[in-house]
Amino acid sequence: MPAETAKHFEALEASSQTLLSVFTRAGFEAVSPAIIQPAGVFLDVVGETLRARTYVFTDPDGDELCMRPDLTVPTCRLHIERHPEGNVAAKYSYNGPAFRFQPQGSGHAHTREFRQTGIEAFGEANRERAEAEIVATIVAGLDAAGLTNYTLRFGDLGLLRAILKAADMPSRWRQRLMHLFWHPEAFKAELRRLTLEPGAASAQIPKALRDVLDPDNPAAAEAAVASYLEANGIEPVGLRSTAEIAENLLGRVADARSDPLSEKTAQLIASYVAIVAPARSSARRIRELATLMGVNIEAAVGAYEWRLELMSRAGVDLDRAEFSAEFGRALEYYTGFVFEVVNPSLGRKSPVAGGGRYDHLVKAVGAAEDVPAVGAAIHTYRLLAALNNGGAS
Amino acid sequence: MSDKLILGVPSKGRLMEQTAEAFAAAGLTLRKTGNERGYRGEVVGFPDIEVAFISASEIAWYLKTGRVHLGVTGEDLVSEQMSDAASRVTFLKKLGFGRADVVVAVPDCWIDVRTMADLAEIALPFRRAHGRWYRVATKYLNITRRFFAAKGLSDYRIVESLGATEGTPAAGTAELIVDITTTGTTLAANGLRVLDDGVVLRSEANLIASNAAEWSPATQAAMNEIAARMTA
Repeated sequence: MPAETAKHFEALEASSQTLLSVFTRAGFEAVSPAIIQPAGVFLDVVGETLRARTYVFTDPDGDELCMRPDLTVPTCRLHIERHPEGNVAAKYSYNGPAFRFQPQGSGHAHTREFRQTGIEAFGEANRERAEAEIVATIVAGLDAAGLTNYTLRFGDLGLLRAILKAADMPSRWRQRLMHLFWHPEAFKAELRRLTLEPGAASAQIPKALRDVLDPDNPAAAEAAVASYLEANGIEPVGLRSTAEIAENLLGRVADARSDPLSEKTAQLIASYVAIVAPARSSARRIRELATLMGVNIEAAVGAYEWRLELMSRAGVDLDRAEFSAEFGRALEYYTGFVFEVVNPSLGRKSPVAGGGRYDHLVKAVGAAEDVPAVGAAIHTYRLLAALNNGGAS
Repeated sequence: MSDKLILGVPSKGRLMEQTAEAFAAAGLTLRKTGNERGYRGEVVGFPDIEVAFISASEIAWYLKTGRVHLGVTGEDLVSEQMSDAASRVTFLKKLGFGRADVVVAVPDCWIDVRTMADLAEIALPFRRAHGRWYRVATKYLNITRRFFAAKGLSDYRIVESLGATEGTPAAGTAELIVDITTTGTTLAANGLRVLDDGVVLRSEANLIASNAAEWSPATQAAMNEIAARMTA
C-alpha cells in the first residue's frame, strides 16, 4: 500500500492535509522534524525491540544515524532545541514518513515506509485535560477525514501503579511488577513467585556468603561480597560494582525473610489486569475491585473518571470506547494513559491511530527534568485503507 | 545461462580442508580449476557441478539470495543472516565439524546472576545505578535479539563487536557478551562465565540448499546425487 503511484500519493496527501488543518486549528503548530536522527537517542530510549526494526547506518564521518522509526522522539528533540529548559507549554503537529523493518509476511497494513500525521503536547500540568484534548483532536481529525467506523481502546498505567502502591508488599516488589507489566508472561510468573516462594532465589547464594548478609546491616554487605570474591579467586570485571551485586543479594535475603505476597492480593492484582470493560462502566469495576482488596485508590480512579468526562465534553463518543487494563503499548516509553483507534476491517493488530502519555521521554532526550508530555499519531496509509474498505459507510 | 549446480564452500583455512574431507569421504573430490589462488572449482567426474570458493562468512548470504544452490556453512551464520531461515533454506546434513556454541556470558564476579531470569532481574537496578540499560557486545545482533526476546528480556542495548568480544566487559565497553565458544577457555581467561541457560545455539557446519536459487531438473538431479552420497 505504499504511495507508489501519484494517485495514491494525492489521496494520502489530501487526507493528511485534512488532518493537519484540524490539528492546526486546534492550536497545534505544524512542524517538520528531521527524518535522519542520531541513532544513540533512539536506541537509549526505545529499547532493543524497536531498535531491531530501525534502519541504522553509519555516515562518512563515522556517526551512527537512523531513519526515524516514529515522529514522537524527533518532535521531543525539536522541542528541546527550541526550549532547552524543556518544561515549557507547547503543542505541535506533523505529517511525514517513518521507517521500520517489517519481517516477511507482515501484510499490507505493515509497510517498512509509512506516514504518520500526529500531535504532541508538552508542559501541560493539567494531565487529564491534556490527554482528553489529544484524544478529542485525533477523533475530530478522523471524523473530518471521513472515518466513521472505528472503536477506541483505553489503558491507564497510573491505575496499575496506584493499585501496586496501595497493596501490601515491599517496595522493591512493586518496582519489579511495574517493570514486568510489559511482559505479560513474566508478570504472571513474578506474581506466582512472590506468593509461593519469594525467597527461593536466596538459596542460590553460597552458604558462606548468605550467612553474613544481613538486610539490617547493608553497610557490611559490600565488604562481605568483596571478601567472598577474593577468597574464591574471582576477579572483579566490568562496571557493575561489588556494591550493586551486594544490594541485589541483600534484596534476595530480605525477600526470604518477608512474608509472601498474600494469595488474595495476588489474585486481585491479576483480576485487575484482566479487566476489559466498556469505558462507561469501567470505573465502577475498578472501584469494586479496590473495595475487595481493601485499598484506597480513589485519587487514581477519580482522575480516570475525570478524563473520561473531559473527553465526553470534548465530543468523544464514549459508547465506542473500551477500557483494557492490560493494554500497554509495545513502545515502552509510555508512562500513563494510552489509547488507540481500531477500524474493524484492519483489526486490532493494525490500529489506525494510537498514542498516550510519556513523561520521561523529554528528559531522556536532554531536558533537565521530566516534562509532562502526551501525544498521538495517525497511520495515514491505514486510514486510507480503512476509508477504501468502507470505513466511511 | 548455464545449467550447472553451484556449490559454495569455504575458501580457506581449516573449514575448507574439513569440507573437502567430508566431500571426499562421500566420493566427491573438490578441486580448484585454473589458478590455485582462484575461487572456481569442480567436483572431479561431475561436469554438472561447479564449485565456488567463498569467504565462510558470506556463504549464508549466497544461499539466501540464491547465488549458490548448495552451500556449506554454520548454523550460527544462517540463523544470524536470515530472520526466517526455515523458508529460505533447507538443511540437508550436519557435517560433524566446525562445532561451536553461541552463548550468553557474564562476568564471573556477578555471583548473583546464574540464569537469564537473574539477568532480567538486574536490568532495572543497573539502569538506576548507571543511567542506561546494560550493554551486550556481540556480532550476532539478530540471534541475540531473538533469544533475549524469547526469554522476555528487552531492557538492554546491543553494541556491535566484530572482534575480541570477550575483552569488552573488562575494557568497560559492554557489561556482558553473546559470542561463539568452543572450549570456554577464552571466556574463563577474561573472567567470564556462561549462564546456566545461556546456550543460544549449538552450531556446526551443515550442507544447506537454497530455496531461492533457480532449480532446473538438471540442478535438482545434481543436488539429489550429492545429497544421496553425503547422507549415505
